[in-house]
Amino acid sequence: MTQMITNKKLLQWIAVIFTCFIITGVLMSSSHREAPLISNDPLADNTDVYAFRSPDNPDKINIIADYIPFELPQGGPNFNTFGENIRYEIHIDNNVATPGDDITYRFTFTRTNQDPTTFFNIRLGKRNLYTTYTCERSTDGGNTFTPIVTNGVVPPANIGPRSISSPVGLNIADYNDLITSSIATASTGEKVFCGPADDPFFVDLGGIFDLGDAPRQTMKSRDGLARYNTHAICMQIDIATLQKDKKPVSQAANILDPNYVIGVWASASRLSTKTLNTSGGGLVESGNWVQVSRLGMPLTNEAVIPVGKKDQWNFSTPYQDLNNISIFGNYFYNPELALYMDDSKFGGAVPAFKGLRIQTHSLQAFDFRNGANGLYSLKGSDAVKGTALDDAIAGKLLLPGPGMPRSVDLWPIFHTGVPNIAPYQLAVGKEGGSPLKPGKPFINNFLPNGGDMLRLNMAVPPTPRNDPKFSSLGLVQAAVLGLTDPAYNKDKSIQFIPNMDGFPNGRRLEDDVTRIELQAVGGVVLAAIGLWYDDFNPTDFKSSPVTNQLINVLQYSTGVEKNDTTFKTSFPYVQTPWRGTNIVNQ
Amino acid sequence: MKKQIYAAFLMALMIVNSFPLFASSHREAPLIADDPLADNTDVYAFRSPSNPDKIILIANYIPFQLPQGGPNFYSFGENVRYEIHVDNNVATPGDDVTYRFTFHKTNEDPTTFFNIRLGKQNLKTTYTLERSMDGGASFQTIITNGQVPPPNIGPRSISGPVGLNTPDYNTLINKSIATSTTGERVFCGTADDPFFVDLGGIFDLGDAPRTTGTPQIDGLKVKNVSTIALEVDISTLQKDKMPVSAATSILDPNYVIGVWASASRQKIRTLNTGGSESYNGEWVQVSRLGMPLTNEAVIPVGKKDLWNSSTPYQDLANLATFGNYFYNPELALYMDDSQFGGAVPALKPLRIQSSSLQSFDFRNGKDGLFPLRGNPALIGTALAEAPLGYAPLLLPAAASPRSVDLWPIFHTGVPNLRPYQLATGKAGNPLASGKPFINNFLPNGGDMLRLNMAVPTTSRTDAKFSNEGLVQAAVLGLLDPAYNTNTSLQFIPNMDGFPNGRRLEDDVTRIELQAVSGVVLAAIGLWYDDYVAGSPNPVTPKLLAVLGYSTGVNNNDTTFKTSFPFVQAPWPGNTDRAGLETNYTQSAILAPSGSGLGISAPDLFFESYPIPARDHNTIKYRVQGNNTDVKLYLFDEAGHKVKVLLDAVKDAGIYNINWNTSDLQAGVYFIKAFVNNRPYTGVKLVKL
Repeated sequence: MTQMITNKKLLQWIAVIFTCFIITGVLMSSSHREAPLISNDPLADNTDVYAFRSPDNPDKINIIADYIPFELPQGGPNFNTFGENIRYEIHIDNNVATPGDDITYRFTFTRTNQDPTTFFNIRLGKRNLYTTYTCERSTDGGNTFTPIVTNGVVPPANIGPRSISSPVGLNIADYNDLITSSIATASTGEKVFCGPADDPFFVDLGGIFDLGDAPRQTMKSRDGLARYNTHAICMQIDIATLQKDKKPVSQAANILDPNYVIGVWASASRLSTKTLNTSGGGLVESGNWVQVSRLGMPLTNEAVIPVGKKDQWNFSTPYQDLNNISIFGNYFYNPELALYMDDSKFGGAVPAFKGLRIQTHSLQAFDFRNGANGLYSLKGSDAVKGTALDDAIAGKLLLPGPGMPRSVDLWPIFHTGVPNIAPYQLAVGKEGGSPLKPGKPFINNFLPNGGDMLRLNMAVPPTPRNDPKFSSLGLVQAAVLGLTDPAYNKDKSIQFIPNMDGFPNGRRLEDDVTRIELQAVGGVVLAAIGLWYDDFNPTDFKSSPVTNQLINVLQYSTGVEKNDTTFKTSFPYVQTPWRGTNIVNQ
Repeated sequence: MKKQIYAAFLMALMIVNSFPLFASSHREAPLIADDPLADNTDVYAFRSPSNPDKIILIANYIPFQLPQGGPNFYSFGENVRYEIHVDNNVATPGDDVTYRFTFHKTNEDPTTFFNIRLGKQNLKTTYTLERSMDGGASFQTIITNGQVPPPNIGPRSISGPVGLNTPDYNTLINKSIATSTTGERVFCGTADDPFFVDLGGIFDLGDAPRTTGTPQIDGLKVKNVSTIALEVDISTLQKDKMPVSAATSILDPNYVIGVWASASRQKIRTLNTGGSESYNGEWVQVSRLGMPLTNEAVIPVGKKDLWNSSTPYQDLANLATFGNYFYNPELALYMDDSQFGGAVPALKPLRIQSSSLQSFDFRNGKDGLFPLRGNPALIGTALAEAPLGYAPLLLPAAASPRSVDLWPIFHTGVPNLRPYQLATGKAGNPLASGKPFINNFLPNGGDMLRLNMAVPTTSRTDAKFSNEGLVQAAVLGLLDPAYNTNTSLQFIPNMDGFPNGRRLEDDVTRIELQAVSGVVLAAIGLWYDDYVAGSPNPVTPKLLAVLGYSTGVNNNDTTFKTSFPFVQAPWPGNTDRAGLETNYTQSAILAPSGSGLGISAPDLFFESYPIPARDHNTIKYRVQGNNTDVKLYLFDEAGHKVKVLLDAVKDAGIYNINWNTSDLQAGVYFIKAFVNNRPYTGVKLVKL
């Protein structure tokens, strides 16, 4: 209880400080070819960001930012590599009281031709487009940067056995030796790997972008990213480096300690002016740095922001999101995808989403369909006092007005995270079945800076990848276990439930974020906290809330549930890039 | 005639520097690899097999398009000048005909992230086509508001009532074929990439065909490309506006055109805060393509960007920079046992002549035919001194052995003159008159695709049609009794093939590799080392090895259309040939709880007890009709099938299944029924 009050005061204080600062942070920041402009600039196209606690080293956090989508392993002669004149950056916010980034990692790359006389990428031990990098770190909001890795080496493309292993190539027996030897340790302790890797993302692009046909209704679903590579920037960082007071994880008060929440996003920036040489080839870049790509939460700019606003999204930072809430907010309050999960709108037009139907009269009271009021009728009422929906806590953000039904779930999942207070606790043990009463804790990734970021509570223990309860459904599975598994659903005590370290509490490489987000748009988070589906009869308190409509949502799947290969069990976790000569299915 | 050509050539030499024009392959140079929209991947030029009065010009851009590459898919870029250039006269500087395409994109419904929804299309692309007939000095608009079909996203987007409601994607292609005010037919849109090559093998240090155990694969299979296709009357392209019927022979030198394509951008690109970019300044060529693979496999990495930024009309002035890559090509090192021949086992059948006719060495650094320069034996041949011949171009110096074959194939074409006639009838002397087989001579010195438009087309269904192009024509002219009995000018099938222009079918990678290994030299009588001068049969094992060489990928992964635009419809985003199939089976959608499952005469009714289950469970079910296929499966809550509880054909009746649940993990499960293989209904099972 004392803890709760302290938290509340802290939150109030944070909210005040935060509103003073939202406009001052001038910083920088995709998805796979997700916006018109960046789809034409693959080198700067940030495809995915991951942040998760190391399963093999629980003192460490791994942050992975991927760039360059759809790399064909056989894409020679100029196999993909990181671009020059681009600032690739990973941004961490660990404190809403400080403006902008608390830690920024900046990567810049240089390419050299070791043998400009050949058209081959690798020949006789020499490499063309040989790429090295410098990593700089800022811990003062981007004012000053200190180099922490110089002359870092990017492994070559995994072209084939002749280029990598033969005596006329690099004569390296195993490509993985090139990965291992290029892992650098920064002067400040971070482990760093920059190089090509299997694209860990998986999604049925062909189905889902054919007007939402996932799972495909007339044929088998297909992983549209199978057998493609990407370029990964991977970092393994001590929790004490990322925690706002430099505390190790051993000092966390509990597994949901609010002081261990970080927000992570990545970006690519280019110089504003590119001038082509009028003769001789080549170009010159100059001017100020302009962010051209950003990524925090997956799929935001792919499937939430509509085409007319995607470029603007990429050019702005999360720290500007609150200021831009009149432009972007409604895409979360009333998301386009929700139209396809609502029989009064276009639900009939997207048969693949038939199992996903948003609550229209949850607890016979609350309508979360686009344009409806959601929980707004509770605004300012006694019922929300002391909950996150209290204006004194976060109600101003979470219940901003009528007609914004998803301000209580989708908007905060993307922009603030949620605190470990009602209503954001599992329905287990909630008095009288009221979602506004205290329940079982399952998440605290609250960092209410208002910006689209991946938010991770670093104090949550990792779920071993070989645990039978490990699930790519992340926090959705943790909620299912918390509600149904007798090991967890007996009481409201704080307890580690497997997959509490999964998306959207950070993001693991395995997490099926497309499925989770579609389920979230389908209202599954609302259900988890007790805002059950329409077919739950609240007058019969003995009836199971696990109704057929909830079952339909939980069973919903896009049809592509895992990556097309495994992950490494240790840093850098991303898998060896596909070899140019080994591609069959693509 | 020869004098005329030479004079024209001299003029071309004088003006090469005065003409600022514009210009790839698939991601072939470092800079353009980073600018896919402006990346010119291939150029084709061939006489139309369906309408012999017409020439088809095709320029492709934007490599490696994934059919499933949404949500933005791919289309031509704004702020790019896409150009197709035609030179038909070496006496006039630069282009004689230039086609310039510029594109414009509009979002018809900016409120959705889908590309197509409810009849509206985002990034909808239209184009303007301008034509210049005066070397680019002035342009006339000949198509406005040309339509680019949408990406072939899939059946819901193209044919569904919530999409475009179009019966068939090909309808969209046909509808978008425009006729210009000057008579050309034009198509701009996405198409199957007609190119084929084992990228994975060949760029692994030349491993084509594969020697390392993995199978050859067309690295461009099931990829799309953005195509600009033109159908132009031969009289529009011929320098004196003469129709093909006026040609004096099938090798009439007045019907040769040089074709290349380019993309240009404005000099300065500025990124604006707020998410936009602006362009200004003069136009700078950033990509060019004439002959296939020049910049991919001839120009080394350090010079690729320079190549893309210069025009073919500058190539002669840049001869000091680029010439040696053709005189002594890198690829030749891998076909020469005194160099790196041993390092590239895949190319073993290809061995360059080192002592042709026991006299001539064409390996890198050797002199080739240069020792003959000035020899009276050359009088009357193309290798004679100026002004009667072209010795300064074709025999420029010692140690430039491929100045007589590779350099002219790429830069001038070859005239129907000695020694560029087939060995047929030469009686062992390559410099003697032989059987004509090519005349695509347009000696402006620039890398272009050169096509003699007077050469008849080979029917694509002809038994003698071959994707070996002119190499096959040479083989037929040397070996087929229908053609090899005299030196008269005769149509030999595939004389309309690469490198006399380029047909969509032509296997240019194979032909060029054979050419690097000296097959053209052999065709004109400079036989391989194992031929002893004077012996009757020049078709030696070494020649047969070269002719039998193949990269292992010889055909496109689909067919071509038999009429304009010839390129095949793009692969749809939902194709079962892209992406990796999963074995997911969708769960049945349950009716809302409490809504009375199966009340109206259900085919099946079942219940399971006890709930929750500890160590056992009983399923009681009733089947309504006889001979009913009933399946009961157990799924976990992630939708994975855990157990088959029943798979049987049952008659009407009530049945029980008792089963042991003690080995199930705790959690929520669903028992689902399938009746006659249709998902039917389900019940929940909680295991403690």
